[in-house]
Amino acid sequence: MIALNASRTLVALTATALLVAGCGGSTGSGDAASTSPGGPATTGAPQLSDQQAPPEQLVIDVTIKAGEVTPTNEQLKSKVGDPIVVRINSDAADQLHVHSNPEHTFDVAPRSGQSFQFTVTVPGKVDVELHELNRTIATIAVQ
Amino acid sequence: MGDRSIEVLAHGLGGSNDLPIPYTYALIGAAWALTFTFAVVALAWKEPRFDADKPARPLPSWTTTVVDAPATRWTVAVAGLLFAGWVVVAAVWGPQDGDNALPGVFYVLLWVGLVAVSLAIGPVWRLVSPVRTVCRLLRSSRRPPPLAYPRVFGYRPAAIGLFAFVWLELASPDPGSLAAVKIWILVYFVVTLAGALLCGPRWNAGADPFEVYGMVASRLSPLRRNPDGRIAIGNPFDHLTSLPVRAGTLTVLAVLLGSTAFDSFSAMPQWRGFVDDVAGDSSAVAVLMRSVGLLLFASVVAATFWLAARAAGGVDARRRRLLPGLMAHSLIPIVIGYVFAHYLTYLVERGQQAVFRLADPFGTGWLGDLTPYYLLSTHPTLLATLKVGFVLGGHIAGVVAAHDRALRLLPKRHQVTGQLAMMLVMVGYTFTGLYLLFGG
Repeated sequence: MIALNASRTLVALTATALLVAGCGGSTGSGDAASTSPGGPATTGAPQLSDQQAPPEQLVIDVTIKAGEVTPTNEQLKSKVGDPIVVRINSDAADQLHVHSNPEHTFDVAPRSGQSFQFTVTVPGKVDVELHELNRTIATIAVQ
Repeated sequence: MGDRSIEVLAHGLGGSNDLPIPYTYALIGAAWALTFTFAVVALAWKEPRFDADKPARPLPSWTTTVVDAPATRWTVAVAGLLFAGWVVVAAVWGPQDGDNALPGVFYVLLWVGLVAVSLAIGPVWRLVSPVRTVCRLLRSSRRPPPLAYPRVFGYRPAAIGLFAFVWLELASPDPGSLAAVKIWILVYFVVTLAGALLCGPRWNAGADPFEVYGMVASRLSPLRRNPDGRIAIGNPFDHLTSLPVRAGTLTVLAVLLGSTAFDSFSAMPQWRGFVDDVAGDSSAVAVLMRSVGLLLFASVVAATFWLAARAAGGVDARRRRLLPGLMAHSLIPIVIGYVFAHYLTYLVERGQQAVFRLADPFGTGWLGDLTPYYLLSTHPTLLATLKVGFVLGGHIAGVVAAHDRALRLLPKRHQVTGQLAMMLVMVGYTFTGLYLLFGG
């Protein structure tokens, strides 16, 4: 359990760092987490509300450069209904597949500072996969 | 639905997989498996009890009459043929993307559903098999077949067919590819039909992978036929011992168990990372690695079981050679327990999806927003309990069946020691299974 807590803290730290650092690179108004440029907005994910305790948000930072993806085959955890954000800096067009029930698909454009948000409504192990490169970024155990 | 991907992954079906079982569940399962095993070896009965010739309790005679009536059999056979035709229409003229009904029918209804139905009511594939029905409709089938089915083949062609199936699902470049599934089915149909025309129905019984899989599963069914042909209900352990021992019997079971284990194993991040690192951009290398992995898993199951069955004292060389085949039936409960532990959610939840897609083969959307009821996924505790229960139940039944057969086969002085290797191997299967379900 120590390892799990540590990784969750790490994710949270990364998330904070990204949110702080991401504002400069983002093309939008800074509300990057809820927009998905280039891709169909298939999710009606809840916005962060500042009235109540915000749901814990899982952020995955992905870099696609010269055909290489980082990270790959990460093991992450999340909860049903919590927003999951994938932030991508890419130099190539690709497609992001979220193998949940139901599935989500996002188009990745060749540029930096894209972010895609979704929620998972049915518990399970969800693969987040880049289709063209045929790599699994992460497997999220959603409980 | 325009944004739906053309591609689906994970068994060619997409969607999420089961959560790993909690650590405590795996531990409890493992502890019970060990306890039961040693209780069986040390304390259980000392005289063999199970016998395939022991008559079971017959059902009322009208059931046999109805089931065996030509009208019933033709109705079922034609229904099977029509269903196959429906699937072909959906596959060819339906949407050529992830919404097509074919993968769900192929990977879920056929592969897992066949086991469930065979277990419940017996080997139905020989009734519904489209190849058998086509053969019966052809006039030439009334003449004796030109060739005899070679005895040396046994179940080996079926083992190859089953391996081809799991290869497509777990090792091929893209299991969800409609073209790949269509080609597989076409080859299956041509080979099975040609074999059946050349060698008669014996070919179907020995070489049709689905018929052999169904036959294997049906040996654990409480329903069977008495020697006089009447349908009867009885102890599945008596029924188990009637598994025909032919060339390839053990191979069939090893392919089934090994592939299911490989399915869990290949979801582990360490393995995926390893394949990515070695293969790089080469899809061919990745396919080769997965194929070798799959083959290795099946081979390990076959080799460990074969060695364990032969590791008994007090038998002569000729007898020893026969032991692996004579013990093979005790793998059936382990295989089935494991298959259900892995694929129950697939059957229950993806099965619904497959049925919806079949009901709307052209993707017109007349069903509206009908979504499957995620009965098991939304109850993770129930699901984990069921999974451990299936693995444990399969293990206990396997151990009991092996114990009883050992009493019959081994000389008195070697009965306890002669079983030990087999029991340890079965404990090994179960621990590995729980470890894989736990997620490594």
